[in-house]
Parts: sequence; C-alpha cells; structure tokens
Amino acid sequence: MVVFYRRMPRFEYLKPQRFEDVLELLQNSTPNRYRVFAGGTDLMDQLKQRKINVPETVIDLKGITELDFINFDKSSGLRIGALTTVADVAKSPEIEEHYPALAQGAREIASIQIQNRATITGNICNAVSSADSAPPLLALGAEVVCANRNGERTIKIEDFFSGPGQTVLNPNELVKEITLPPPIDNSDSVYLKLAPRGRMDLAWIGVAVWAQISERIFNNVRIGLGAAAPTPIRTPNAEEALCGLDVVSENIEAAAAIASGEASPRENSFRAGSEYRHMMVEVLVKRVLTQLAG
Amino acid sequence: MEKITCNFVVNGQAEEISIPPNRTLLHMLREDLMFHGVREGCSHGECGSCNVILDGKLVNACLILAVEADGMEILTVEGMVDGDNLHPIQQAFVDESGMQCGACTTGMILSTKNLLDANPDPSREEIKDALAGNFCRCTGYAKIFESVEAAAESMKGTQS
Amino acid sequence: MSDQPAKIGDNWPNLIGKRLPRVDAVEKVNGDAKYAGDFNLTGQLWMKILRSPYPHAKIISIDASKALEMPGVKAVVTAEDFNGWSWGWGPTTRDETPLADEKVRYFAEAVAAVAAEDEETAEEACALINVVYEELPGIFDAEEAMRDGAPQVHDYVDNNISWDFHMDYGDVEEGFAEADFVREDRFETGRTLTGFLEPPAAVAQIDSSGITIYAAKQSPYFIYRQLASCFKLPLSKVRVIQPYVGGGFGGTKNDSTAGDFCAVMLAKKTKRPVKFVYNMEEVLTTCRRRHNMIVDCKMGMKKDGSITAVQTKVIADGGAFTAIGPLTMYLTGIMTTLPYKLDHYKHDAYRVFTNHPVSAAMRGHGVTHTRFAAEIQMEKMADELGIDPVEVRMKNAIEAPHETINGITVDTCGLKEGLEIVSSSSAWKDKDQNKKDGPVVRGIGISGTSHLGGARQRGHQSCAAIVRLCEDGTVNYLTGASDAGQGSDTVLVQLVAEELGLTMEDVTIQRVDTAVTPVDNGSYGSRVTILAGQAAQKAAQEVKRQLAEAAANIWEVDAGKILFNDRTVFVDGDPDKSMSFKKLTQIACYSETGAVIMGKGFSEYGLEKMDFEKGYGNPGVNYSFTSQLSAVDVDIETGMVKVKDFLIAHDCGRPLHPVNVEAQTQGAASQGLGQALYEDFKMREGRTMNSTMVNYMMPLSTEHPDFELHDIITDDPHGPFGAKEASEGSIISTPPSIVSAIHDATGIWFTKLPVTPEKIVLALKEKKENG
Repeated sequence: MVVFYRRMPRFEYLKPQRFEDVLELLQNSTPNRYRVFAGGTDLMDQLKQRKINVPETVIDLKGITELDFINFDKSSGLRIGALTTVADVAKSPEIEEHYPALAQGAREIASIQIQNRATITGNICNAVSSADSAPPLLALGAEVVCANRNGERTIKIEDFFSGPGQTVLNPNELVKEITLPPPIDNSDSVYLKLAPRGRMDLAWIGVAVWAQISERIFNNVRIGLGAAAPTPIRTPNAEEALCGLDVVSENIEAAAAIASGEASPRENSFRAGSEYRHMMVEVLVKRVLTQLAG
Repeated sequence: MEKITCNFVVNGQAEEISIPPNRTLLHMLREDLMFHGVREGCSHGECGSCNVILDGKLVNACLILAVEADGMEILTVEGMVDGDNLHPIQQAFVDESGMQCGACTTGMILSTKNLLDANPDPSREEIKDALAGNFCRCTGYAKIFESVEAAAESMKGTQS
Repeated sequence: MSDQPAKIGDNWPNLIGKRLPRVDAVEKVNGDAKYAGDFNLTGQLWMKILRSPYPHAKIISIDASKALEMPGVKAVVTAEDFNGWSWGWGPTTRDETPLADEKVRYFAEAVAAVAAEDEETAEEACALINVVYEELPGIFDAEEAMRDGAPQVHDYVDNNISWDFHMDYGDVEEGFAEADFVREDRFETGRTLTGFLEPPAAVAQIDSSGITIYAAKQSPYFIYRQLASCFKLPLSKVRVIQPYVGGGFGGTKNDSTAGDFCAVMLAKKTKRPVKFVYNMEEVLTTCRRRHNMIVDCKMGMKKDGSITAVQTKVIADGGAFTAIGPLTMYLTGIMTTLPYKLDHYKHDAYRVFTNHPVSAAMRGHGVTHTRFAAEIQMEKMADELGIDPVEVRMKNAIEAPHETINGITVDTCGLKEGLEIVSSSSAWKDKDQNKKDGPVVRGIGISGTSHLGGARQRGHQSCAAIVRLCEDGTVNYLTGASDAGQGSDTVLVQLVAEELGLTMEDVTIQRVDTAVTPVDNGSYGSRVTILAGQAAQKAAQEVKRQLAEAAANIWEVDAGKILFNDRTVFVDGDPDKSMSFKKLTQIACYSETGAVIMGKGFSEYGLEKMDFEKGYGNPGVNYSFTSQLSAVDVDIETGMVKVKDFLIAHDCGRPLHPVNVEAQTQGAASQGLGQALYEDFKMREGRTMNSTMVNYMMPLSTEHPDFELHDIITDDPHGPFGAKEASEGSIISTPPSIVSAIHDATGIWFTKLPVTPEKIVLALKEKKENG
C-alpha cells in the first residue's frame, strides 16, 4: 500500500512546563504512548510520512524553558541545553571562538528556517550518520547528559550512537544537555562538509578535527566523521598515528589514509558509492588537518 | 483528539481558535484563517514556500503544529502590505520581475525580510546563502537576487 | 521589423521591447494570486489516491468495504468505474487508464481513490482498502526490455517497443566514406523531471450542467478533451477554469493526472465537489518525467572540421505508458539537422516500455538529448583533429536562409553572431591564463544549439484570440493560451495594448476558462508568443478596424488614415483631428443603434504541410539559436563542480518583453544546469530512491552563477514583431557547454548526464592509473 500523506496522523499534544514531569510520564510509559520533541523538524516530517509508529501523544518540550541555554565557562567548558536551537549555536560568539567546528557544523544544517527550529540535541538524537553536528561534537570530546526519573548519567558522544537512527537512550530517558570540555591552549577545530550543493544537502562526507598543536607538533588530535559509517564515528587509529608527530604534509597524508581505512560507508547508498566516500574521507581529513596546521 | 484553544496574533490581528493538535501551522493558516499567500510546496521543510515569521523568526509552517505557536505572533506575506501599499521588498520584486510562476515568491519575500532586517546591505553571496532554503524552479534566481538588492537599496535609511 | 502595422511617431513601438512590469506581479507578491489548491467549493469532499506498492503486478481483487464503512467516507472509485476507458497520444496508443485496470505497470501507479469529508479521513480510509496483487517480474532497463523473452509491459506491442521512428536523408554511408575521421560514442541523459513547485491540484464538480474543474494545468485544453471523452460529455459541457499555475515546463501539467479523472468520478458518485492536492513525494515518484535516452551517435568529419554525416540510434526509456512519447521520438530525430550543416543523416529511435514512471515532454522536448550527444561528439572529434571548439562550430554553423536536408526552413539565424560574442569574451580568450592550479581548476566550455518555436503537432495548430472592447475604452482580452509562470500573459497584453495604442493597464487578460476563452492547443513548444501572439495582434487589429471606421465617419476621411497611439486616435497628417480612445469608443458604442465592438483573430504562421512520419518539413514556425559559454570550477580531488559564469547569446528574433526573455533564458539555463550536474532519479527495481527535494538535487540559490546575456536581433518574418522562441534554447545549450568546460578542466569527456562528483573523481583516478 502506498499513500502519499499530506496530513498528520491523529495524536494528542502535551506541553509540560517541568522536566521532572516529562520524566515521570516517560517512566511508566508503554511503547507508542509518547514521543517527545523539541524543534519537531524531524519528528513532524517522520509522522507525516508515517515513517515511525504514531504515538498516542506527542510531548512538546519547549515549555521547559530552563533547558534552552548556552553556558560557557573557561574552566568548566560549554553546556548546551536540550532545547537550544541550531541557530543559537551557530550564532553564539563563544562557540565560534572556542569550539569553531561546532558553529561551522551548525551552520551547515539544512536551511535558516530549519536552524531556527531544530535543536542540536535533536540533531544527534535523530542519529543520522550524516548529521552535521555529530562530527564536531565527536572531535570536540562532547558528552551527553541524560536523565530519567531516578537520576542522570553521562554518555560520551562516541558511545551515544548505536546504529542508523538508533541511540543508547532508554525509552524512559531524555537528553538534558550536551557538555564540551574547556578549551585548551593551542587548540583549534574545523568542520568541513562535502556535498554537491551549497546548502540543504545531507553531508556526503563530514569531517571535523580538533587538534592541539604546539611547536609544530600534533600533541593531541580527535577526528569525527559523518556519513562515513552507519553512525558518526571517531577514527582512533588516525588520531593515535598523528600524536607526537611533526606538522608536515607527509604525516597529514598518512593519517588521512588511515582515517579512510577506518571508514565503513554503506555499499548501496544512492548518493555516492563506497569507494568514492573512502577517497573523500582521505581528501577531507587531509584538508581539515592542513587547515589546522595553518 | 480534543481540540485545543489557542491564541495567535496573525498580521497584527488577534485570533482565538480551537484546533486539533495534529493540524500544522501551515494548514491552520491556509484553511482556517484563509491566508493562502502561505503556499504549500513540498511540505517537508525543503522548499520554503510556506515560510512565515513566527515571533520574529523565519520558519517553515509545514513542520510546526499550530498548537506549538499558541501565544505567538505570526507574520505572513499578506501582513507585509500596508493598506494599498506594498512593502518595499514586495515592490522591489514587482519592479525587478523577481518571480515567474509565483509559487515560491511569498516565501522568498519573507526570507528577504528576514535577511534585510538583520543585514540591510547584504552581498550577493550573503543573499544566496539567505535564500538557500527557498526553492525556485523558474527564474534561475538572477532576478530574485536583483530584487533583494533593489529592496535593500530602496530601504536604505528607512525602517523595514 | 516584419509584419508591422503603421508606425506612429519616433517612439514606436510604445510597448514592444520595453522593460515593463509583469501583469501578474502584484498579485504574486501580496499573496492574492490563487492557485488550484486555494480554491474551495461549498460542500466539497477531499480525495486521496491509493497507489500500488509494486512496479508490475496483476490486481487480483480490490475490497473497499472497510473503507466505505468508515465514518466520513463517501465513496471509493476503482478502475471498474471507468468502464475500460483509456487515453493517450494517438488512436493506436491509448493505453493509459485513469486507475490501474487489471494490472499495475509502475510503482505507485494509482489503483483506487477515496472521497471523504476531510483529507485525514480520506487518507486513513485508503489504508483500509484491501488490494490483492500477484507480483509480476518487472523490466527496468530499456535495452533489456527490447530483447525476446523480456517481461511485457503491454500486450499490444512486441518487445516492449512503444514507438519507433526513423529518418533517412542523403546517404550516410556515402557521408562516412567522404570523412577523414569517423567516431562512434554512446551518450546517456539522466532521469529528470520538470520540477515545478506547485503540486498538481484540482477541485471538480459535475452535475446536469456538466463538469467544472479548477485545475493546475499548463495546457487546459488537453484535460478539457480528455474529460469530455472520459465522461462522454460534449465539449460544450466541460468547463476547465485555470487558476494561477505554479510552474509547468511540460509533461505532467500538460496531461491529465489520475487525480483529475478520479475527482470528477467521485464528484459524480457523491454529487459533491471533490478536491485533491498531490504531495511533492507523489510528484517525484509518480508524475511524468523527461525520457532518459541512450544515444549512440556516429559522426563523420573531414580534416578541416566539416561534418559529413551523422547517424543516431536512440533508445528511450518510455516508462509504463505512451503518453506524448511519439512526439518526443520525432523531435529528438528531426532537430538534429540543426544548427550545423548536414547532408547525410540517418536516425532510428525506439521508445521502450518499462516498469518505470511514464516519460513525456519537458522543456527542450526531445532536443536536449540528441543535441547534447552531437555537440559533444563534434567537439571531441575537433579536439582530436586539433581544431578549436569555436572554429569547428563556425565551420559547420548554418547561415540563413537555410533549408535542412529534411526540409526545415530557417529564415533567420544568429548562431555565428552568437559564437562570435562568446568567443570574443575575455573568459574565452584568456581561458588558458585563468586556469588556476589545483585542486580547483577553472574550465571554460562553449556550445551552439538551436530550438524550435511555435511547435506544431499533427492536428489542431492555430491559436485564437478575442478582444472585447469595453464601453469605457478598456479592453478584455480572451485567449486560450495559458501562462504557467513564463510570463506569456504579460507579452500578450503588451501586444494587444501596442496594437490599440493603449497602456498595459487598459488591457485585462482573462485566464483560461474553457466555457469562455477560445480553444487553444496549449502552452508547450514555445508556441504562445508566436502563435497566440499573432492571434492577439489580429484580434486587436480587428477592433482597431471597427473603431477606425467610426472615426473615419466622424472626420470624413479614409479609414486607412486613422491612427492609434498613446490612448489617442487621430488622422494621419492632420493633428487637429484627434480625440481620446475612450471618447471614440463611447461614440462608436453609443451612436445610433449602438455597437458592441469585438475582434477575433487567428494565428496563420506555420500552416504549410509537414510529414510527421518521415520527419520532413517544419516542426515549428521558426528557429532560435543559442550560443553559450560556461565557466566552471572543478575540484579535482572531490569532483565537486561549481558553475561560475554563464554567458549566453540568444537569437530570439526580437525580444518583445526583454525582461521576460532574460528571465526565460536564465530559468532554462538553470534547469539545464540541474541536468548537467545534479539531477538524476536513482531507481531500484522500479522504485525511486530519491523522491524528496533534498535528495533529487535541483539547483538552489547557492548553485547559480552570474549571467551575462546578449540578445541577437534577427527579426524573423514568421513571428509577431520578429519574435522567435526564448524559453527553451538555453536548456539545450547549457549541458553541452558545462560538459565541455569540465573537459577543459579535467581533460576528460563525460558522456553520461549528470556529471556527478563521483564520476569525475573515479574517471580521474582511472586516467591516472592508466597513465
């Protein structure tokens, strides 16, 4: 059966004002009872297309205004609330200064219209491999603070994605905030997205690198890849290979080749083939590292 | 599905309306309030033809439930007209023929307003970036870019 | 200028050639413009279509009882309701039914439709209809479909050959024997579609007075005939009212859709108006597409670059039904003899049924494919012979007057002039200095192409117009030609106002209403300005003649001495004898027994005989010529291509409305850009994998280069004020010029569209590996 829906399925709508109230609702929930959303840019589309099971009730988190914040402190780092929009992250001077790859990633997400509604948290909870915020968060060492009624736990971003469209969140859990470690001297980050059109495309490959370079030596490097594997990934071998090495093109090229080997793109994507994506991981990692090398 | 009573200010006019929770802002504006200048193109947030400005922010009305906008101010293209006078952006699109079929035009105009409110003197590259969420199949964009530039020029020194 | 009426004053013409605002501009910026989906009729129901989950399957049974039990559901229609009625291009090819009958032939073909009190209910009810299918093996490759034993899409043809078309002029073997160099290459075009932003929509009602339907149609008189036939009504009882139309570009919005037929049938069953709106995924999955073609092209060339012969074999994926495909096959053959001199030409085209969505017309109909092939092959051969791309084109370019070997007559041709403009640009002259070192390499490419205007089909050809003079001196203008956004309403108003010496504001155009406006073939093949334009001129001239007689009576002069200009009527050479247009109208309308002044006009261009079967004679009224330069930046590491500049020199005879001419050239080039680099439906077992706008990547604001446009004025004798087509030329010239530019940057000739980043990277890798 194929029906091209134009209307939403039927559901109830709740807009709680307190985070605890949402956690309480989720705690005793059954499958398909609730579905939470923040910006709704992914959920509304998925519901309209009947791509997911229709919940009895959608829970709009935007009533919980205390979750809409960007909080930066030089010693403790960055905290981004679950309701903070992509636009706010893209425009934050502090993120631009201390976590530039994240600001760059945010600006690459779809359109201005989408950025005004969508949240960074929603972007990672949707767990699409090509999510533009994911490689920067991976490279910047982000952690995801999750909560259920009984308490909180912190998950490293690289442990957060469990498969295409899947995260390790339990059904009774919500993301409360995303945290990033404090900025370190002599470090910088860059995100590059490969896509045919200047905007709107999903990343064909996304590469973010955070690197600490002193005296022309890579002290520390983290690499995040998007659309290069079933989920966003780190490339530990390439990172390790670079650490302690001189900032010269031979080392950069060797690391880029290693990163390419760590990618495992889908074989049957209609966007681009696996061989091409492997090659592009190498090109982009090389470019980002070269840019960071200055 | 219980209807929910919501209050909006649409184009400066207060509206109280009971709406089912699954109704999109797009369909509420088009079918309940009859603002058909809010166009329905792709309905996936990919084309921008349903653009409205919601509490000062440019959004795709197709991806928002009407109930989410309860208590908010909504500007549609109809609200940009002042009596019989077009808004300078609308006038610029007329003068520069920045449209063909017109399906994208109202969304383009709202995106242009969103751009010029923040950046009264945008470069061509900034215009391209600001309109990337608005799809046009007819024009090749050239006359749209010229319309935006003409609007910026005519609004210089005035308030939008 | 040709065909011109009496000149008055130094500034004549007053309106033609002027940069006037569009007549529909204000309504389109303030939100007033109403499109099909904006119409609502009292008591209307909403319709939803249930579609097939298989690309090829027998329908064993359809049980709609559960859907009909649902509260709010009023009726369901299936193929049975249409009683075997089918439609199509010609008497032997009426192979398409409004809903799938007995079997489905492409994925998401319409199978049933529900009418309910609201759209939600109609959608939900679709899910309750139980259709039992027996899946059949599908055929998804045109070449395989032609082989014996392939699954058959239709029983009425063998080997899935939907239509074949052959041309043979001169003696190609002799031509190849004369050549110093012969090449054979295979070219392929992509799977693309028109890409209008407004999905098909309509609201329909039917009662004892007949059918009334507000429908998003680019050519309302197609559906007018199709509905009359389907519902066995006289044409006089079919009223198609055309709202504003959100883009057409051929194909879907020329034809009827399943939705149109079902809405009327459901209105008949329920005695209520029925409305539907397609969604964009439905458009991108089920609507008409451009034929994608394999073009095997063989060309002979002498050492000096002159072409001696061309032979093409075309295999086109026609999809599941015939639609307008035979015309595509005709056009893709006949137009290859332009714009380069050719004495020997042979063409064999096969349109093949597959279990894909239906292929039909799109802007640059049929011409884009074979011209791309021949253009690239010509340059490729010149490249191998060491001949410059401009030189090979200048060598072969036709000059007017010219008659092609298949009887196409060209009276005006600005190709050489265009190529001179392109090749004297600094972008071309300095291209080697501007190349840039990697990884981003600048490439410059050119093309020189041709297209027809005033397209002809077999059968009804003429356009008509009615000019009704209101007693206050304003004018209602009625035409069956329709504006889907291209701006033809503005040009037609301009022509009427020009003839009558009025302003644009004095003339109001009536959008098509088949109960009111004169019948018209439709808005396709760049025919509106030329043919409806001539009808408009003639109708206005007829009004002018009647008014001139009235004025001649008043002033007791010869009617031939009465002139109209600037809302004033006066006697030539006697400035004292003048009055306002309004006053003369009032005198003419109110004197004695009074008069109702109306003029009608018909187009007369392009009436000579043609031989459709042999591809001989003129497929259009006149021919435009486009010369283009494209500058691209190719990132040779990623394969990403960014178009930087388009320089287009177009010969449209004379631009009547220069702004619209520019806009059409820009818009067509934009679509050509999409076809060259981005757009391609990815098919898997008949299913479209990229049926969203994000994934079917049409160019956005960020992909568009700067345009430099040049008008070449040639004043064709077969168009109003010398006009030729302006809306399609650059969709033909853009892909070859981009591919030529990519060759300039990479040294590789790409022969399959679109040229994607992946193709570029893998080809460069292969080239490197092979040394």
